[in-house]
Amino acid sequence: MKNLRILSFVLLLGLVLGACGGTENTEPSEFTPPASSQRPPVLHLLGAYPPTRDPHLATDATSASYIVEIYSGLVTIDPDLNIVPDIATSWDISDDGTVYTFHLRDDVLFHNGKPVTAEDFKWSIERACAPETTSPVADTYLGDILGCREKLRGETFNVSGVSWSDDYTLEIAIDAPRHYFLAKLTYPTAFVLDRDNVGQDRPNHPWTDNPVGTGPFRLNRYTQGEELILVRNTYYYGDPMPQVERVEFMISGGSPMILYETDMLDSTPVGLQDLDRVTDSNDPLNAELEIVPQLSTGYIALNADQPPFDDPNIRLAFIMAVDREKIVQVVLQGAVQYAPGVLPPGMPGYDPNVQGIPYDPERARQLIAESSYGSVENLPDVIINVSGGGGAPPGAVEAMLEMWRNNLGIEVLLQQTEYSVFLVDVSQRPNPYQMFSLGWIADYPDPQDFLEILFHSESLDNKVGYNNPEVDRLLNEAAVENDLERRVELYRQVERLIIEDGVWLTTSHGKNYTLTKPWVTGLVNPPMVIERLKYVSIEP
Amino acid sequence: MNFKEVMKELVRNRPALFGLVIVTALFLTGIFAPWLAPSHYREQNLDGVNLSISWEHPLGTDRLGRDIFSRIIWGARTASFVVVITLALGTPMGIIFGAVAGSFGGVIDTVIMRIADILFAFPGMLLIFFLAATLGPRIDALARSTEFLDPLVKGGYIDYVVVIATLALIGWAGMARLVRSQFLSIKERDYIDAARGLGASNLRVIFQHILPNTLSPIIVALSMGAGGVILSEAFLSFLGIGIRPPNPSWGAMIFANYQFWRTQPMLVWVPGLVIGIIILAFNFLGDGLNRAFNPFSKRR
Amino acid sequence: MYGYLIRRVLWIPLLLAVITFLVFILGVYGPGDPIQLMLGQHANPETVARLKHELGLDRPLLVQYADYVSKLLHGDLGTSLKFRGQPVSRLISRCLGVSIPLNVVTLGWSIPLGILMGVVAAYKEDTALDRAIVLTVVIGISMPVFAIAPILLYFFAVKAHILPPGGWDGIFSANVILPAIVLGIGPLAVMVRQTRAAVLQTISEMYVTTARAKGLLPKKIMFKHIMPNALIPVLTIVGLMMGSLVGGAFITELLFGIPGCGRVAFETFTARDYPMIMAFTILGATAFILSNLLIDILYFVIDPRIRRPK
Repeated sequence: MKNLRILSFVLLLGLVLGACGGTENTEPSEFTPPASSQRPPVLHLLGAYPPTRDPHLATDATSASYIVEIYSGLVTIDPDLNIVPDIATSWDISDDGTVYTFHLRDDVLFHNGKPVTAEDFKWSIERACAPETTSPVADTYLGDILGCREKLRGETFNVSGVSWSDDYTLEIAIDAPRHYFLAKLTYPTAFVLDRDNVGQDRPNHPWTDNPVGTGPFRLNRYTQGEELILVRNTYYYGDPMPQVERVEFMISGGSPMILYETDMLDSTPVGLQDLDRVTDSNDPLNAELEIVPQLSTGYIALNADQPPFDDPNIRLAFIMAVDREKIVQVVLQGAVQYAPGVLPPGMPGYDPNVQGIPYDPERARQLIAESSYGSVENLPDVIINVSGGGGAPPGAVEAMLEMWRNNLGIEVLLQQTEYSVFLVDVSQRPNPYQMFSLGWIADYPDPQDFLEILFHSESLDNKVGYNNPEVDRLLNEAAVENDLERRVELYRQVERLIIEDGVWLTTSHGKNYTLTKPWVTGLVNPPMVIERLKYVSIEP
Repeated sequence: MNFKEVMKELVRNRPALFGLVIVTALFLTGIFAPWLAPSHYREQNLDGVNLSISWEHPLGTDRLGRDIFSRIIWGARTASFVVVITLALGTPMGIIFGAVAGSFGGVIDTVIMRIADILFAFPGMLLIFFLAATLGPRIDALARSTEFLDPLVKGGYIDYVVVIATLALIGWAGMARLVRSQFLSIKERDYIDAARGLGASNLRVIFQHILPNTLSPIIVALSMGAGGVILSEAFLSFLGIGIRPPNPSWGAMIFANYQFWRTQPMLVWVPGLVIGIIILAFNFLGDGLNRAFNPFSKRR
Repeated sequence: MYGYLIRRVLWIPLLLAVITFLVFILGVYGPGDPIQLMLGQHANPETVARLKHELGLDRPLLVQYADYVSKLLHGDLGTSLKFRGQPVSRLISRCLGVSIPLNVVTLGWSIPLGILMGVVAAYKEDTALDRAIVLTVVIGISMPVFAIAPILLYFFAVKAHILPPGGWDGIFSANVILPAIVLGIGPLAVMVRQTRAAVLQTISEMYVTTARAKGLLPKKIMFKHIMPNALIPVLTIVGLMMGSLVGGAFITELLFGIPGCGRVAFETFTARDYPMIMAFTILGATAFILSNLLIDILYFVIDPRIRRPK
């Protein structure tokens, strides 16, 4: 459930004004570029405020980006987006595809030096599924495990599907043969935690202040609004060993471009305002630029649980009244890719021939007339919710407001809600927002991650009140389909149905524009959130 | 002191004249914005974004192709509207409370002045920020559920209500203090005693003798206060809890374009300088009025 | 006159009580039902009742207020909603660690310079220099921070590359220069105005005329007779400025990326983080009131004329 603060691309740099917080080993003279002979093995990156630091609670990409460095689980995703062994070295799958036996490494230590055993995994999964943990994502990512949903409902204490025969053999039983189950285990909800560490939770001193994980980095310091510092985990079991000693995230905001140009950041995302400059091949910065398409989709949700969007005609009218390609091209300066459908390019199952809903104001007005509301006058007030606290809404949304006004004669009101409050609001059932702007970035490279998690009528992450029995049926069929081609075909059918039902006004698939200093090697800019810092080294 | 003499004094004082001209221009621009502005403040043109200065767009266009010059002009309407309504609400409140406190004294005086003290107990913009943040959602909800306020909600003007309510709620206190102190000093004067001696009633004394004499300090205070209202509105809008886009506000314009301060600094400088000049004008005008009303004391 | 001072001191606890009460009411109930704000409009009634009980919101209002105040007096301001689990007192003490030094630097340059400019302007009254100073000051007062900061940033950080564009690294780094300039313009202007007016006022008083009649040199009169007396009203302004420490620098800290209280206040105000909002408002008011009181007492000690009964 990695919600992505969409247009964060723009927001990140636009809303976060000012500049970075200092770090403890930056001298006042740091402002002038340090002599290259003295460059310490410290990586300076731009960070953002993580809404949570508890792996079992993470629902957003920002939180996850720190969590995947501090913690780890049975399996992980490598930079080429393959699912690869992590703490589990290998696994056997029973013939009916429902029982996974994981063989764990015997050399894995928590950050505090304690060895990790299969029992720790069982405890962690049960902790994630415990109702008092209030994990909003346990159902989505662990719900296939036998006994997990029962435990979430408070019916049992034990998650019956998880058992261990010895310290390094873990068995997980699921309810049906699901192709994507391993992929789900790469999500933080399945990461292993130290029971003693979590037990130290006290009021005002949450255990996440001193998290004990198994990942390549340890949390050294987190100063709210200032910085988050990770240091190398010398007990790390994996390959490669982390090479940089420290990674310092500056989260006090700032003008990242200037910080980058003055060598206070080793790598920075580029915002719209600097795009022209860095994409100009004559500019020296151009050589340091890397552009990576993201496995993400930005959308405006049209919530079928709230009038007037309970009527599909109204939803389609709102979509047809927006010239999305123009917005992508002009307001977003072509920096992202127009999204006619739900799945981003590069995602298995992506259909290059997908037909989006066309821009057709004429037909949009007609649809309103044909709807159960009959005319614009009968519609209730419509409010669109956008995350953010400041005075500047995303340009794309402002452009849409004007298009709805001009093309439909509907005055849509804009409301801004701070991101963490916004995330809580949209996770309610039914979701109180009529329309909201959000994005989704892949958790793992499988179309199930988009289509089933976001659109199955029983999924807790279906934020738009979408309920199409035909879609549910196809999704259930695809979930247990072993033939890859047939699976893809099923998901393509699902995507077409979802587009036609118009609950998502898809806008764009993201692209990361990242500048990285030449002395940094191995810093990948993956299309989704994966652990990446252990690959980085810095030339002295 | 009659109007003519004040005007003559104002015109002689160059900064005050400057202030008078700018302030007059502000209100005229505000009133006639729909006719003065080449285009509507929310009119976008996605085929002409980020244009630089030209005859057609004297200040260029923003990222949505809106004419910045037009938005500045419409911003004058927001600013003057907020100033006028806020002062129109806060000033009578302040005058009444100040007059009551000053003429009756005793418990009423204590209560009113202590309330004013409370409002003065908050530094800088903190109280404004606090009230807008806490009362904003409540006012919003109230307006949504109230039939006759519904047009305000539908028209997207509820943010104006929040800003004005916040500023008026705070603004009366300064005026009340001023009027009270005027009352106290005038009350002591001989001619008031004389009027009383001739059998004038309390109310008659207040309306016929005291109030007219407090008029000039009130006007000076209003002029100074107007600058403060403009600044507060810009401040709230800049922080995203004042006037909300697409409604035109200079403060909100600065914030919306702040990320471009480096590549298109004009987008930030122009509204910023406009706000600065308007506040400067109100300050000059206030100083000038003060001198014009009190020709014998060259300085305060 | 001692009576006045005593009354003044006694009024303070009452004022603080009223302020905390108002802030409490507005902070908890002003924006709407706090539970609804936390759980949204469609929360399950059982959860609402449980949370209400857990948070003590089902108790009588005055009991809740008393509880809040007693915790407040023990330094417990609750926990932040936005920065989940972090105690408000810790967040605020941390940001004060940035805001206080920044303000000290700001006032450290602006007040002495302001006094100097004010005295010069008064001494050279009605000359071109005086007029130039006064004009600069009015312009300084009028220009809002969000107009000045981007202009300074553009020229000093981007064009000339001589000052860092922001960030915070303590007060002994170059990072402090631009924000201290921007923050100091207001206090500087106020200082000049007050000092100038105070000096002119003192000059017109009798004892100066007497001193002049005695044939004392103008400079000597300035330093021996005028300055000490003129500086007294100036103290008031210093007091007001110290008080605005907590909430005075929202925009500057935001623009320059300084993790001080203004910035934290902005972040929590926009996040509907009411425990933080209430704490900031109460602390801001308390600091302001206490520094005003301190100044009043100082006045009293310094200026014998005030002590005389009316």
